[in-house]
Amino acid sequence: MTQQPIIRFDNVSKRYNDDTTVLSNISFEMERGKFYTLLGPSGCGKTTILRLIAGFIEPSSGEIQFNGKKINEVPPNERQVNTVFQDYALFPHLNVFENVAFGLRIKKIKQAEVKRRVEEALRFVNLQGYENREISEMSGGQRQRVAIARAIVNDPEIILLDEPLSALDLKLRTEMQYELRELQQRLGKTFIFVTHDQEEALAMSDEIFVMNAGEIVQSGTPIDIYDEPINRFVADFIGESNIVDGVMIRDHLVRFAGKEFECVDAGLDTNEKIEVVIRPEDLEITSPERGKLIVTVDTQLFRGVHYELSTYDRDGNEWLVHSTRKAQVGDEIGLDFDPEAIHVMRLNESEEDFDRRLESYEVPDHAE
Amino acid sequence: MGKQSNAQKLFLALVFIILYAPIFFLIFYSFNSNGTMSSFESFTWEHYAAVFDDTRLIMIVLNTVIVALLSALISTAIGVLGALAIVYLKNRKLRNTLLSLNNVLIVSPDVIIGASFLILFTAVGVRLGFASVLISHIAFSVPIVVLMVLPKLLEMSDSLIDAARDLGASGRDVLTRVIIPYIKPGIFAGFFLALTYSLDDFAVTFFVTGNGFSTLSVEIYSMARAGISLTINALSGLIFIVTIGLVLVYYALNRRNRTPVTGVKK
Ligand SMILES: Nc1ncnc2c1ncn2[C@@H]1O[C@H](COP(=O)(O)OP(=O)(O)OP(=O)(O)O)[C@@H](O)[C@H]1O
Ligand SMILES: [Mg+2]
Repeated sequence: MTQQPIIRFDNVSKRYNDDTTVLSNISFEMERGKFYTLLGPSGCGKTTILRLIAGFIEPSSGEIQFNGKKINEVPPNERQVNTVFQDYALFPHLNVFENVAFGLRIKKIKQAEVKRRVEEALRFVNLQGYENREISEMSGGQRQRVAIARAIVNDPEIILLDEPLSALDLKLRTEMQYELRELQQRLGKTFIFVTHDQEEALAMSDEIFVMNAGEIVQSGTPIDIYDEPINRFVADFIGESNIVDGVMIRDHLVRFAGKEFECVDAGLDTNEKIEVVIRPEDLEITSPERGKLIVTVDTQLFRGVHYELSTYDRDGNEWLVHSTRKAQVGDEIGLDFDPEAIHVMRLNESEEDFDRRLESYEVPDHAE
Repeated sequence: MGKQSNAQKLFLALVFIILYAPIFFLIFYSFNSNGTMSSFESFTWEHYAAVFDDTRLIMIVLNTVIVALLSALISTAIGVLGALAIVYLKNRKLRNTLLSLNNVLIVSPDVIIGASFLILFTAVGVRLGFASVLISHIAFSVPIVVLMVLPKLLEMSDSLIDAARDLGASGRDVLTRVIIPYIKPGIFAGFFLALTYSLDDFAVTFFVTGNGFSTLSVEIYSMARAGISLTINALSGLIFIVTIGLVLVYYALNRRNRTPVTGVKK
């Protein structure tokens, strides 16, 4: 028996003033207890989806379901959803304890229980002992944890987080990523997390929804999305990638950069025009004789863990290479890669077709 | 910059001396047993005693305070609601119109407000006295309260309201638990400003009072016209002390409302 999804969007659209369409016909499902991330560039509609789930706005058309029940018109104060706002939205006139207790006070819960639950929530976010602090006396990272405590103390079914880490510096942010992920696993709640930082999304999520211009372009596990982006937008947005035009000769054989290469993709038309993605870390530097591609090193940057080389082949295609080995600028080098490193993308393929095609040649692979 | 700052200090001192000199001059002679303001004879409390002996004067003081408190309270309530309406009005045009109307009332001269109220009250048939004074004081205080509350409301982030709703607050909870506490400093400021405006209003009250009802400013005006009496000086001295007391109370309240900044940043 499949579990009932906790959230279901059925052809949901959102328009403002009848002319600007912010979300167009979005459909998706979310399962209980997972960590979801909405990822996409600024203005693509991530916050809008959160506000629809929280109930601050209503969809213009379509249906939103919560545990199988339609909730389009249910006001936010009657939904079992709590939000961690991008600007935290902590109440400046209340101290830390009262901020966290706000939801419980509204529900008229007894003082003894309020105290117990607030203290437990603060312990969860590592803020015990800060009960009597004013919000103005808390650092950015601490405020964010107060905001999280204020959400989890109400024991909601879903916690929505709108770019909660964007105001923090890199180190604190990485720390909070671990903490959030761990918190979600301890609580077992459904988290819906919004970010436009692809690394953050890859590191934290069970499942990522990549969005662009009011639509969900692709959804899947971080590994699926990273290894098998559906199109140029996703490939570009998630990590760095080399994208070149090519032609599918037949199943498992593709032609690009003036040569034919063995690959694992199948199920496409013969001689179909396609795009090929190869991740920079899948390219390995060898001698020109042994390389599948022969390129000239244009620039080289030291990135800490690896060198980032920008190279060009004879057709003028740029190939980005991440390598722990150093090369010499101006040198001709060879690039080697496995057939698995090649990912073929059809032009304008829908997500359903894409998934079906992947399954058609991947399933036997897994069955072995 | 020592020299310049000394010059600045001197200038400031001079300004304050000029501003406060008449008041202290007045208070100084309120202790004069001579009964005139020309030569100081000897110290006496007699004029203060005269103030407290004059039951009519005491009644007028009470009237003034009651009108001030009532009008400040009522106009604060109306002003807060008005500011809320202005901020949360969807219709842009209506909102701007209301705001402009509010500002016009603040800048229009008291004489005009007083005269127009007089015309209104006589036209409608309201008997001049307590009610007419109270109503007109409320009328000129409401825009002041709106002006004090509005910036606080505008400064408040919408996401605070969203957050409260998200945590289960009904519309009423949002108002009483988030909006009102947030704008409380503005409400206090508005209340005290309305109180002082009402206490020292002369022009408007002068027009709309009648039938034996009088407030302090109007009464002092008529006493001064009748001829010099040091009772006025004594009364002024008392009012001055009460005013200082009010200012202190206001600052104390303001300080308590502000969150202490103890700075724990490392
Ligand atoms: N109240 C509104 N009226 C009109 N348009 C709006 C309104 N709220 C949002 N929009 C528009 O909807 C689009 C999506 O907004 P949304 O806030 O969902 O973006 P986002 O993906 O969260 O972006 P960001 O990463 O910058 O926060 C934007 O183009 C925005 O201008
Ligand atoms: Mg947003």
